[in-house]
Amino acid sequence: MSACTPKSLASSGQKPIQEMCHPLGAEEAVLTPSPDVRNITSSIGEKDQILPNGTPVETSSPSSSSSLLNRLQLDDDLDGETRDLFVTVDDPKKHVSTMETYITYRVVTKTTRVEFDLPEYTVRRRYQDFDWLRTKLEDSQPTHLIPPLPEKFVMKGVVDRFSEEFVETRRKALDKFLKRVADHPVLSFNEHLNSFLSAKDLNKRQGLALLSKMGESVKYVTGGYKLRGRPVEFSAMGDYLDMFTQKLGTIDRIAQRIIKEQSEYLAELKEYGPVYTTWAASEAELQGPLEGVASCMANCSIALDELTQDMSGDFLPVLREYVLYIESMKAVLKKRDNVQAEYEAKLEAAALRKEERPTVPTDVEKCQDRVECFNADLKSDWDQWQNNKTQDFRQLLTGMADHNIQYYEKVTAGDYWLMLSYVHLIQVVVQGAKGSVSY
Amino acid sequence: MMADSGPEEIAVIGNTDLTSAELENNIKNTMVEIEKWTSLLRKMEISVGEAEKRTGKNTVNMQEIYTVYLIETRPVDAVTEGIIPAPDSLWRRYSEFELLRNYLLVTYPFVVVAPLPEKRAEIVWHKLSADNMDPDFVERRRVGLENFLLRLACHPVLCNDKIFYIFLTEEKGWKEMVYETGFQAKADSRLKAMNAAFRVKNPDKRFTELKHYSDELQTVVSQLLRVRARVADRLYGVYKVHGNYGRVFSEWSAIEKEMGDGLQSAGHHMDAYAASVDDILEEEEHYADQLKEYLFYTEALRAVCRKHELTQFELEMAAQDLASKKQQKEELVTGTVRTFSLKGMTSKLFGQETAEQREAKLQVLEQQIEEGEEAVKEKNTESDEFVKTAWIDIEHFKDQKDRDLKEALISYAIMQISRCKKGIQVWTNAKECFNKM
Repeated sequence: MSACTPKSLASSGQKPIQEMCHPLGAEEAVLTPSPDVRNITSSIGEKDQILPNGTPVETSSPSSSSSLLNRLQLDDDLDGETRDLFVTVDDPKKHVSTMETYITYRVVTKTTRVEFDLPEYTVRRRYQDFDWLRTKLEDSQPTHLIPPLPEKFVMKGVVDRFSEEFVETRRKALDKFLKRVADHPVLSFNEHLNSFLSAKDLNKRQGLALLSKMGESVKYVTGGYKLRGRPVEFSAMGDYLDMFTQKLGTIDRIAQRIIKEQSEYLAELKEYGPVYTTWAASEAELQGPLEGVASCMANCSIALDELTQDMSGDFLPVLREYVLYIESMKAVLKKRDNVQAEYEAKLEAAALRKEERPTVPTDVEKCQDRVECFNADLKSDWDQWQNNKTQDFRQLLTGMADHNIQYYEKVTAGDYWLMLSYVHLIQVVVQGAKGSVSY
Repeated sequence: MMADSGPEEIAVIGNTDLTSAELENNIKNTMVEIEKWTSLLRKMEISVGEAEKRTGKNTVNMQEIYTVYLIETRPVDAVTEGIIPAPDSLWRRYSEFELLRNYLLVTYPFVVVAPLPEKRAEIVWHKLSADNMDPDFVERRRVGLENFLLRLACHPVLCNDKIFYIFLTEEKGWKEMVYETGFQAKADSRLKAMNAAFRVKNPDKRFTELKHYSDELQTVVSQLLRVRARVADRLYGVYKVHGNYGRVFSEWSAIEKEMGDGLQSAGHHMDAYAASVDDILEEEEHYADQLKEYLFYTEALRAVCRKHELTQFELEMAAQDLASKKQQKEELVTGTVRTFSLKGMTSKLFGQETAEQREAKLQVLEQQIEEGEEAVKEKNTESDEFVKTAWIDIEHFKDQKDRDLKEALISYAIMQISRCKKGIQVWTNAKECFNKM
């Protein structure tokens, strides 16, 4: 280990978190129509958003928005502890070789931990590598909840593995996985994680890992012991997970239904606007207002399309990934049950043979230890999981609210233009009318 | 003519059931009228107040249920003197409105007569019932009928019609009075008008353009209304599905400790969001009704064009007839036969006529020519008069249409903005709830 002075994040040349503009706040400031007409006309229709103080906000490109969101997440997760391990997954790239084509992701680590030789690492990893890491973690930390990975297999004909959308969704999920592991008080110190983050080439020894996995899982799953008395708190966890899964399923279905209804609304809207344009062609005085309404409809269509894309891209995948997370948690609960069952069985067997050996045999003691460790680990993992869950869903749902707010703001901006052009006409006429008619 | 049925007073639009948009509209309409002509509204307030159901026997002696509408009128001067007497009122059913309109169409063929609201609900989106007895439909029809009467009352020519005045003021005996005018006999048959439309040679170009325009307008506005109804349908679906979030958030909040309150409140906002679409779409129906009025106006425009074609055709026929008679006279005088006539052929075959016979024929022809010239002169005057008066009314109509529709479009844009603002509000509230989770 080389002695190195802990360096702050600012060494990378980026602004500290506090000075970063809140990405959501920045967008809100731009899209709300201000009473000043000039501001509206300058910001409508422009892709580049300008903050009120005149500095440009980074236009959303996959890498910049994710890095902004990453910093946002880190901000939220500060529990008063000083975080000393930061990881990011970004910059997907396609690799074509004679054997195969695959995607790699850049994994950037920044840390002050002594377990790491350097304060910063940048490596390239592919999905297989993440899968390897997860397996190693499961094997070496069987009593802990390991966060899930995005789906491994995709139907080759149905989903394009190399489409921007698919790759981005996967990247976000991998990023989340690694962050959760890095946040975990026990998992983050795992030697395999260290290798994953720092090694130039992962010496995976895939074959051995597979065998050992088999061995361990056989031990825990096919114990064949029957559980007698599950502690209430763990039953409660199981019940909660079942109900939660159900609710998530319902929410998924609702979100999909909304996307479908919105698509159908969009289809009709796309037909609606052009009729106004057709009408405008045969009118003189009315041509202006009719064209205005047509362009409002067009504007609305674009905004609606963006909303649907955002919800498909941001909302649904996260929801589905949580279902996987719950499956992992259930698996861990099951493992715990098996460990306890094994202990109970051995205890019973020992009690029957009490006459032969006066002392409690060591293997029964070992079992008892295992149960107690497992229970303790699980409880602490559960608490953290609940915490993360609250944050994750807060972020997810506020994200959904934001997408909808942005949609409505975009539409309003378009309509304001029409209004401003013609509202003065009404005012003039009303003044005239009011002036000469008494009530 | 009832132009002098009361002292001159400042005009008051007394109907408070109008929306502010319609009120502005009527103010504007009346403004134009006051400057140029007298208007019925200067003398009396008109409103269609309520609707009621009645039962009775119809023409085939079967029981039927129908709706009647209360027409209330009150002289303007009564209000301005500080006393507000109860309005006079009578009940009319839709078929009587139709009768009134038909009478006006025949009696003033050069006027673009305001249309009636739909008899049956067509072009509806699924939520709105197509049932004539549905209270929302009846209400919208009531508004439409009132609008119809106000349009008539504002019209410089129609407002002075006696039958119209009695329609508003005397319930009994009005129908008989209308029939007594014999207007039905004066009506041009549709067939006659169609025939003229095909065969007229020199219609005024402006009318041809107008007919073309009214066809285009009808096509495009029908299409617009149809697509709008489909859009409304879809929008309804989007809003209502969000109500499901309300339910599931509520259920979910029951199994959560920290997140429970936030979820529960957010759920309520989702319910409010889903419920808000009903009012939004009801308001949009008003916009659709404004468009529908002008859709139906195209029929009135076409009727005026048809009348022009008919008068022009009759003029052409009269001129043609005169020309032919003159031709015949010439041939008789000069002895040459250029035009084919049975008489001519038979006289060729069976011998010439005598001098007396020729003289008699000549006299008849000259008489006919004189009559023909009178007829042509008459038809010419008629046609010119028609073109002149019709075109004044058409220009008036065009201005009204531009004003009304411009305002309707702007109101529509305002509706959209209002809907979006509500959307922003609801989601902002929901976001606050989520943030508190």
